[in-house]
Amino acid sequence: MEKLGIEPSLLLAQIVNFAIIVVVLTKLLYKPVLGMLEKRKKEIEEGLAITERMRAEAEKLGGRREKLIAEARSEARVILEDAKKQGHDAEREIVANAQKEAAEIIEKAKREAAATHEALSGDIRAEAINLAATMAKRLVAGILSPADQHKLIAKHLVDLGKAKGV
Amino acid sequence: MPHISLAAEIVTRLAGLPISNALITTWLVMGILIILSYLSTRSMTMVPGRIQSVAEMLVGGLYDFFGTVTGTYVNDVFPLVASLFLFILAANWVGLLPGVGTVGFFHGEEFTPLLRGATADLNTTVALALFAMIAIQYYGFKTSGMHYGKRFFNVGNPIYFFLGILELVSELSKVISFAFRLFGNIFAGEVLLAVMAFLMPFVVPLPFLTMELFVGFIQALVFSMLTAVFLTVAVSHGKEVHHNG
Repeated sequence: MEKLGIEPSLLLAQIVNFAIIVVVLTKLLYKPVLGMLEKRKKEIEEGLAITERMRAEAEKLGGRREKLIAEARSEARVILEDAKKQGHDAEREIVANAQKEAAEIIEKAKREAAATHEALSGDIRAEAINLAATMAKRLVAGILSPADQHKLIAKHLVDLGKAKGV
Repeated sequence: MPHISLAAEIVTRLAGLPISNALITTWLVMGILIILSYLSTRSMTMVPGRIQSVAEMLVGGLYDFFGTVTGTYVNDVFPLVASLFLFILAANWVGLLPGVGTVGFFHGEEFTPLLRGATADLNTTVALALFAMIAIQYYGFKTSGMHYGKRFFNVGNPIYFFLGILELVSELSKVISFAFRLFGNIFAGEVLLAVMAFLMPFVVPLPFLTMELFVGFIQALVFSMLTAVFLTVAVSHGKEVHHNG
């Protein structure tokens, strides 16, 4: 033992030294460092849990937003369809009114044309009668007395009027 | 010739107690470990600085590493095995520093180095081995109470009785193997370096120095790892005995 250098007092001193090292390192190094690692681990876990919760919430909100957008789109489509339908209806109504008005205007124009035609026909007929009467008066002036002329003319005019339906 | 001595040299005596150069180096190593521990943890923050990062990486890495061996008992045994690793590593590496083993004084013809690698002294390695073995038995008894003693003293069956004796011898031999493995490796390394430095002082010792750094790390790992394994075996045995009644 002596040759190997083992001496009880030195052996005991080294055991005490190592015991001191174990105690001091536990207090100064292991506990603070492991405590800090544990604390950081917990904080990271909490952070991850919060992130996960936020993500889930964001997903939920995103879903709701998508739903709202879809609803809004659907409503917009319905409104657009209604507007188109109303537009078509209004267009049809306007066209129908315009056609009706045009038909009325045409009808009125036709009526006025017919009335004008009638009036002109009457005038022409009267003029023709007058002309015929003048011609007849000149032709028969030498043959008949004025009274007979008048009777004859009157009789022809009446016949003429009957023949023409006046 | 370089100075080579199997036993640590007594530098002085304090109140009648011998103070060896290995003991002085042990105090130096203790001082380094305590100061570094203090500096790395004095102002810890959630966002770590450089020293704190290194401390966290080292302690966290050791905790995970020993956790794979000791399982659920890691919290109980971690201070012991981590201290073994850090102390032996620091002692091995401090022993390689320039001045250790070369700076000293003469007693007539005899040279006495002021510092000597702490683990190149059997007092240190035997002390560490004894500490580890006592701790192993303590955890064994702590886990299963007096049932753990049946591992060594079981008179119920002649086979178990002889097995108990074998277990006892095995436990005692662990102290010797622990102590001499560490001492032998580190002392041999120091002798090798001293001889190489004596024969070829420049450049040539460098590869050997690098190898000794590696050996120092491996020996620290082996010592602490084996302690962790024996601790786990003791605790598991105690648990098994406890369950079997």
